[in-house]
Parts: sequence; C-alpha cells; structure tokens
Amino acid sequence: MNSAIQKTFNEGNLRANAAYQAAKRNITIDPITRLEGHGKIDIYLDDKGDVERAYMQVPELRGFEVFSLGRPAEDMPQITSRICGVCPTAHHMAATKTLDDLYQIEPTSAGRKIRELVYNTFVLEDHALHVFVLGGPDFIVGPDAPPAERNIVGVIGKVGLEAGKKVIGTRKRLRELIAYFGGKVVHPVLGLPGGVSKALKPEDLPKFKQLAKDGVEFAEWTNTVFKQIVLGNPDYVKMITSDAYTHKTCYMGMVDDQNQLNFYDGKLRVVDCQGKEVCKFTARQYREFVAEHVEPWSYMKFTFLKQRGWKDFVEGPDTSIYAVGPLARLNASDRLATPKAQAAYEEFYKTLGGKPAHHTLATHWARVIEMIYAAERIEQLINDPEITSPDVRRVPTTVPAEGMGVVEAPRGTLFHHYQTDARGVITMANMIVATGNNAARIAMSVERAAKGLIQGMKDATKIPEGLLNKVEMAFRAYDPCLGCATHTLPGSTPLIVNVYDHQRQLAHRLVQG
Amino acid sequence: MSALTSTSGTAAVRPTNDAGVDAPPSRSADVLVLGLGNAILSDDAIGLRVVRALQQRLEPGDPVVAEESEEMGLALLDSIVGYRELVLVDAIQTGTQAPGYLHEFDGDSLPTRRSGAPHFLGVGDTLALGRLLGLPMPERVTIFAVEVADPFTLGTDLTPAVQEALLPALERVWARLRSFRHADGCLDRSSR
Repeated sequence: MNSAIQKTFNEGNLRANAAYQAAKRNITIDPITRLEGHGKIDIYLDDKGDVERAYMQVPELRGFEVFSLGRPAEDMPQITSRICGVCPTAHHMAATKTLDDLYQIEPTSAGRKIRELVYNTFVLEDHALHVFVLGGPDFIVGPDAPPAERNIVGVIGKVGLEAGKKVIGTRKRLRELIAYFGGKVVHPVLGLPGGVSKALKPEDLPKFKQLAKDGVEFAEWTNTVFKQIVLGNPDYVKMITSDAYTHKTCYMGMVDDQNQLNFYDGKLRVVDCQGKEVCKFTARQYREFVAEHVEPWSYMKFTFLKQRGWKDFVEGPDTSIYAVGPLARLNASDRLATPKAQAAYEEFYKTLGGKPAHHTLATHWARVIEMIYAAERIEQLINDPEITSPDVRRVPTTVPAEGMGVVEAPRGTLFHHYQTDARGVITMANMIVATGNNAARIAMSVERAAKGLIQGMKDATKIPEGLLNKVEMAFRAYDPCLGCATHTLPGSTPLIVNVYDHQRQLAHRLVQG
Repeated sequence: MSALTSTSGTAAVRPTNDAGVDAPPSRSADVLVLGLGNAILSDDAIGLRVVRALQQRLEPGDPVVAEESEEMGLALLDSIVGYRELVLVDAIQTGTQAPGYLHEFDGDSLPTRRSGAPHFLGVGDTLALGRLLGLPMPERVTIFAVEVADPFTLGTDLTPAVQEALLPALERVWARLRSFRHADGCLDRSSR
C-alpha cells in the first residue's frame, strides 16, 4: 500500500519537474520576453484554424502614486505634465482643475477663459497632428499603399506641398500661443489653483485674433480635404462602415448644461448604444459611476460603468463597456456649440446613417469635426472682451483634503484625483487616462480584427505580415498611449503578435519595431 | 536631397528656406547634440543625462550646441532645423543587447516610414519632412542610443547598468564630436 502511494507520488513529482524544466527552458531562451516596451497580441486558434480568443497587452507607466507621495499638491500640474510628452497640456489642465477642487476655489472668470483658450488650442494642434501625421496617412495616402508611403511625406505627396506647409506652419503658430501662456509647450507652467499665472496683454491680442481666424479656416479646409479624399472613395467608406471595425458600446464625453461638447469643463455624460442617456456625473462623483476590472492576461485595468457591473467583453444595449475620445464625445453630445462645427456634425451623422455612430474608424472624421469646434471656440474666447483682464487668479485660503478633476484629453476623458494632508502634501494620487477608459473596447477591436483576418488557418506560419497592419488600424484609431517612453526610435509601433495553435503551442510570431 | 544650397562658410550663414513656414533660426554653431527622453521615467532619461554632462565639458567657441529635449516627433523639427550636423542621444529598448550597451546608428539608415500608434513621427520621417519643405536640415545625423532596462517606472534614478553606461556614452559622443573637422578646431583642444 505504502509503496503504491510512493510510486504515484514519485511519478507525479517527475512530471512536475519535467514540466517546470520545460517551462523554464522556454522562457529563458527567449529574448523577446524581455521586451516589455512592446505591445503584445496573443492569438489563440481552435482546431479549425479560426481565432478562439485574441488578447492585447500594452506596456504601462508604473509608480505614479509612489512618485507623487510626499510632494506638494501645487507641483502636480508640473509633475503630471512631464509624464507624457504627447499630452502635457491635458495632464496639466486636469491637475490644475483638481487643485481648484482640492482648495475649493473657483478660478476667476478671466482665468477660466484663458485656461479654456489654451486648452482648445492644444486640442486643435494635437488633433491636426493626428489627422495629417499619425492616423490620417492610412486614409489620405490609402490603407493599401506601401507602408513606406503611408507617412506625412506621402500625405504631402497627395495633398500638395503648399498644403503641407500650411499644416506645419499652422501647428507651429498654435504651439506659440500655448508657449505664450505656459512658457514651454511640453511643460506648461500656467495653471494655479484659482486661475492662471499669466494674463493676455492687450497689445498681443491682434496676432492671436489672426491666428484664431486662420485656425477656423484651417480646420474647415481639413474637413474638405478629408471629405474629398476619404468620403469620395467608396472603398474607404465601405471599410469604415464594415463590421470588422464596428462595436456597439456606450460612449462617454464631457458636456455643458445644454449637453453640448466641451473639452475643458462640464459634466460627464454617458449614452448607450442607442443614444439614450445612461448617466451624467461630475468629477467628484466619478467613483460612483466608473469602476476598474482586472483580467488575468493583462496588467491594464479595464474601466466599466459601475452601476451596470462588469459583464465581460460584450456589446449591445446592456453593455457596461464604454468608449471615450472624438467619436464617443460626438455620440455623447446632443449638439456642438459653434455653427460651423454643428453643420459638420450634422453631415457626419447623416452620412454615417444616424446617431450614435459605432464605426471605430469614423473616429478619424470625428477628430476633424472637433478641430472645427476647437478653432471656433478659440475664436469666441479670443474675441471675448474679458480675455485681456488682468484679474486671472484668486488665492486659495481653505485647508485642503481631497480633490478630483477631469478634462477631455484629445484621446478621451482624463481623471485626476488626489488626497493631501492639511499642509497640501500628497497622501494619495490616482489617475484614469483615456487609454484606460478605452481599454475594453480596444481589446474588443483587436480581437474582432484578428477574427476577421484569420479563418481556417491550419498552418499558422502562413499568416501574412499584413495582419500587423490591419490589427494596428483597429487600435490606431484610438491613438492609445503605449507607455510614453523610448519613443523616438525606431519609429514604428513596437508590436509582437504571437499565434498559438489549438494545443496552446506557439506556432508563429511576428515582430515589428 | 539636402535642402542646403550652400555648405561652405561659417555656421551662422544659412540659406533662407523657401518653405514659407517661417524663417529658420540662425544658429551660432554647426553641430547640435540633442539629448532625448523623459527626465522622470527612470532609464528613459539617459539621453538627457549624457547631454547634461556634455554641457559641462563644452567651452565658449566650441562649434557645438548641446540641448536636452523632452519632446518627440514633429516637435523636434523646430530644434534641429538650421544645423549642419546632428547627434542624437536617446534611450532604446531592443532586447538584443544587455542594458547599458551603446548602439550607434547612421541617420541614413533610419526608416522613413509611417510611425504607428505611439503618437509621434520617427526621426527619419522628421528629416525627410523638413527636406521636403525646403528647410535647412542637417546633412549628417548620428544616433547614439543606450540600451535601457526600465523606461516605464516614474522616478529620477537610472538602473545600475545604465548609470554605469553614462560616462562611456559621454566619451563616445565626445570622441565623435572631436572627429568632426571644424575650421576653428576648438573642440580638439583636449587629449581626453
């Protein structure tokens, strides 16, 4: 009896050891696994060679809270704007609004207008960059064009050198406006609790009025170019509206008291996939409405609508998954507050067959429409007589404890939340960035693209390289943050695609970047 | 395909660009050493740290400007326009070398292809774009990139291997600068 138990134990032990050794060998010989800077997509095939599941993992920043602890809250607009070289102004403004809340102080009217002016300038500039340089080339040059041509140089080849100069020149002038108030674009020093640090001198007004006028013209021209090149091509329209790039989820965006889009301030409104309002809340209430779900395969936190509960990666009227960003913002608003943007908004929904629009790739067009709104809003603000008022700041007098703030970053809703001791020293810091808000829908988009592309693939090594491009297009529309580091080289999305066969053995790997 | 129509003369003399974008700044030096990275993302700061150390070593009269930049992509265009030589110092994560290894690339070897989801333009694209717009872009680009271990944790310390690589990287950049032949020869003073 004893020997039988002993034998069984030994056999089990040997099997466990062998499995451990095998696993260890697999891990240690693989240099790619050390590449945490890469986005990783794991695709699992079933025995028919169809995609059973596809998972995406993205590298994330670590240590935000630890880094913030013990620092004065007033440093947060500077610290958070340094986290990312892409959206410094969004973090700066979210942090500044969080300080308003922390010190329970309303900015002066002129201070608030300057903030909104700078913020819309940032959105216009950042959106223009995306349209012409980052996401747009897929459409303007064409999704089937050779990758070597799908870049800003290819865009200029298509729209003309003069137009290219207009893009680069306008963007530079917009950045000069941000630098006027903030010192530097990449690390603005502008926002203070209760207002801003610098007023607009009346003598500097004329050049910014001209810039605002040119900005509106530039945004409208961009819309014309986009419509001609993209909407004028039936193949593109077919791709945009195809099932592979469509998800029926909820949408979140910030609105004013008339449910009109606002990037800088307002309440967050969520609509369901039929366009019906699900909830509306302030920054202070965010924890009652937004919760985070964790999956074993990713260290990303997937946000969802708390009151609906986590229901897995599903779409439809009851889903708790929501999207943020340009498309989501248009869907979550009833209208836009400026006339030219409103006209474009109406054309958008007429063309796409009603509201809300669920086509992920329509995000690119939504971004162009937001450019028009941002430009018109800049013009409204710069022509407001109060914009040159020297009364730009109110000094806080209360004892701080907790603050929450939110803005619409170009990529979507951005929450900041801090707690401090009575001296204003940070004891807790949290943020939810746009990519976190979009994470669940991005995961669904990647899986959908993989399922659409790979069917009946018995031999995984036959999967074409083009898979990378099509999957990339699915998530590039969201412009996700893949950890804002080591970005300059080599200049492409660092991405690894692993394909596993139905026995969970790695059958094929594609690496880019 | 360089947009430079004149390559002789002193560094301060630059052809006017025909892009109409705006006038390129007049540069007081021939060579720009640009350190890239994020100062509060651990190893990502290595390019900035090398350039900061280099600044201590430069003297008035050297035909070199050393700058730190936490920007990327298209925004770099404004920094590099007007210089004849560009040396970039950056962080990189290839996974093919141990942390601390110093990669050296020639600017011409950079791909000029569409960049992907990260929201930026590659260095190769930025150079190609500037030339297309008729801006005076550097004729020669050298890139030093330190293989890093952790560019994702917020913090101001380098990991040990990357910290150790700082001085050797500085020496390599310095050696490279000395190899440039400049009429006034300021840089060649040292026997370091």
